[in-house]
Amino acid sequence: MTAETVPAAKEAPQPRKSSWKRTALIGLSRYGTIIGLLLMVLFFSINAPGVFLSRANFLNILSQASLTAIIASGLTYTLVVGEFDLSIGYVASFVGLIVTGLMAYEGFPIWLSIVCALALGSGIGVLNGLLVTKVRINAVISTLGIGTMLTGIGFTYSAFPIATGIPRAFTDISLGRIVFGLPNPVIIMVVMLLALWTVLNKTDIGQKMQAVGSNMEAARLSGIRVDRIKIFAFATAGFCAALTGTLLSSLLGSGTLAAADGYLLDAFAAVFLGSATLREGEFHITGTLVGVLILAVGFNGLSIFGAPTHFQPIFKGGILVLAVGMSALARRYAASA
Amino acid sequence: MSATVSAADAWMRIRGLTKSFAGERALDRADLDIERGRVHGLVGANGAGKSTLIRCLAGVTTPDQGSVTIAGNELQMGSPQASERAGLAFIHQELNLIPHFSALQNMLLGAPKTTRFGMIDWKRSGVAARAAAERVGIRFPLDTKVSELSVAQRWLVMIGKALTRDASMIAMDEPTASLSEPESEQLFAIIRDLAAQGVAILYVSHRLEEVLQLCDRITVLRDGRIVSQAERGALDKKGLVRAIIGHAIRTPDARDRLAADRSRQPVFSARSIAWKQAVKDVSLDLYKGEVLALGGLVGAGRTEFAHLVAGLARPEAGHLELDGKRLDVANPSEAVKAGIALVPEERRSQGVMLQQSVAFNINISTLKLLRSVPGLPFLSDAKSRRQAESLVAHLGIKTPGVTTKIAGLSGGNQQKALIARWLNAGTKLLILDEPSRGVDVGAREEIHDAIRALARSGVGILVISSDVEELTLLADRVLVMREGRVTGELTGADITEARIIELSYHDAHDDQGEAA
Repeated sequence: MTAETVPAAKEAPQPRKSSWKRTALIGLSRYGTIIGLLLMVLFFSINAPGVFLSRANFLNILSQASLTAIIASGLTYTLVVGEFDLSIGYVASFVGLIVTGLMAYEGFPIWLSIVCALALGSGIGVLNGLLVTKVRINAVISTLGIGTMLTGIGFTYSAFPIATGIPRAFTDISLGRIVFGLPNPVIIMVVMLLALWTVLNKTDIGQKMQAVGSNMEAARLSGIRVDRIKIFAFATAGFCAALTGTLLSSLLGSGTLAAADGYLLDAFAAVFLGSATLREGEFHITGTLVGVLILAVGFNGLSIFGAPTHFQPIFKGGILVLAVGMSALARRYAASA
Repeated sequence: MSATVSAADAWMRIRGLTKSFAGERALDRADLDIERGRVHGLVGANGAGKSTLIRCLAGVTTPDQGSVTIAGNELQMGSPQASERAGLAFIHQELNLIPHFSALQNMLLGAPKTTRFGMIDWKRSGVAARAAAERVGIRFPLDTKVSELSVAQRWLVMIGKALTRDASMIAMDEPTASLSEPESEQLFAIIRDLAAQGVAILYVSHRLEEVLQLCDRITVLRDGRIVSQAERGALDKKGLVRAIIGHAIRTPDARDRLAADRSRQPVFSARSIAWKQAVKDVSLDLYKGEVLALGGLVGAGRTEFAHLVAGLARPEAGHLELDGKRLDVANPSEAVKAGIALVPEERRSQGVMLQQSVAFNINISTLKLLRSVPGLPFLSDAKSRRQAESLVAHLGIKTPGVTTKIAGLSGGNQQKALIARWLNAGTKLLILDEPSRGVDVGAREEIHDAIRALARSGVGILVISSDVEELTLLADRVLVMREGRVTGELTGADITEARIIELSYHDAHDDQGEAA
């Protein structure tokens, strides 16, 4: 029972395995999406200079991108707080139908219809948030359930597209060019994204959202009301989905069932592409915009080259898997670096 | 006293087992013989190396050096499968059972089963399990769901599971921690019975009376080394405690221990706080300027008490007072608003936000102070940077800059950043749970200085530490907790490692009572 106190042999800290390869990989995972976007633009510009490289086509790409960008930015918020929203596509479709119905059937003025539509979207978001935080249903299940219900409720409301009785002024919202000759949806997108970026990066609530997403337990112990922050994120996602749905109805000139359902996958692809942009696997608004542009430029190029329409889902699905894969790799390198 | 039992015929021979974590030797050249048919006790303070030893045997941790031979065959290290094949079974405190499976299903989980046409033949597979159940004395039907069983019954299922696979050795970690007295007695009877049937038992426990009563041989670990081995009867409780503490007790200068001014109103008080089985009737007063520490063993209810104060759970009885005002917090957010902050035990999972910057981590609890214009939610980058930089300088946090990701900092500096989080937050009571865990000695001293300075500046400080040396270095007053209760109070020169450990194992009043 002798116990001479021998200090534990301190081993030299292991040198970090760093090589140019790793640096290159991290660089690639950070700037890969931007490089990819630029390469795509370059490729189409060289191979279809007349069609692709024109002001008209660029504005076309931007307009197409704007609706996706808005809904995807809302989705970004839910992912920032570590949650999920699979209902956004259905919310957009549903709200797009309701907003036209309010004008055509109920005779609401345009402004009031839109306010109601946006409130409805936010309300659905709050409901999603409550289900996830208070009832503690997994976000995948609760948002999918709510989204599916909305499809049915929409069908009950109007099984047929609402196309008559929609004021001209409503369709003009998305067709008009009030500022600098830019399509209105582009302007709305810019305003929305600026607002969402500012809230996320420059305000209390944005910092709290990031804290919740980084480490929920730590955020709770720091005095943050985690549930409220998450509900706010879901409400924002609902609001953005409603805005996209409203703009789509305006663009189509009608309210149609399931019109915006496809935005769900587009938004997810964009957000995950974005999470591998500039940062290592974090969700952020700038990244989401880059992701949306990649999708929009890709679709545009495909149609310019006359690729059959069934190529679009191949490209979309492929890019989603690629995006998630890149994001996962980037995260892993970030963790091991 | 170190009785070297003739090693030649030992069933399991552990030789020179060594394992370091981040340069610290968790296990240092451990030699141990284990024989079938005997109950081997393994004791030691927190961090003495018991778990590391067990984990090495289980194949969950790969030792740096050393070997284990079982019945003449060398055990392949770092492979749980190899350990299981060698007949070693491990029962941890948290009992890895699937609640909605039946006892039988749980016992057969992962065991080789009899199959018929590729389907499991439950009847035949059950034979071995039923025989095992018989041996352990299971009296409830084996198709009962585990969720409906008591903790004691679950232990029987775990032991039955081990026997189903023909385990030759069963290691048990703190089996009686959540058992009642009669249940424990029943378990001891089964353990003795198993030993009589030729099973080797490795029994890990903090409850020394139990170990003395049950074990044929007791091995004491301290600082990763085996410091004592004794046959039954060769050691009494005092001797055991002495072996656990060791001879070389460093006595810190009782220099600036502050005697609390008890005539004044306490900063913080707890009155008869109780919660589940973990915290029983805890009352304490914390006075201005002092560092009050809670000592005791892991599982003594200290962390749970901290959680009750910080709003993570609500006391079932009793109440709290802050500055003489009754306090009722429903969640951590309300606690923070009231001025109570917790620097948690698990730094990585509950403290730092690893992907975020140092400034983000420091500023997150004081965002309101960092607004550009009061009343508007917009934050000022300049104010944020200034606050972070001044706190980094104040606490001497070593970082290339405040925008560096906190993941890149050492554990000690991360910990300082977590303390910095609360310096401008109007904190009246700061609870630090294991403030220097996984932190090197130099950083520990700096953290201690920072804590003491905070206390002297008027913030109430409650430190929880299982590191006895840390308690003697840091605390002005120590309350020792054992099994949910405050069992003793130490002040001034009485704050020594020996006294704290003694109180951790038994109450102050039955000090002389027991002779093993």
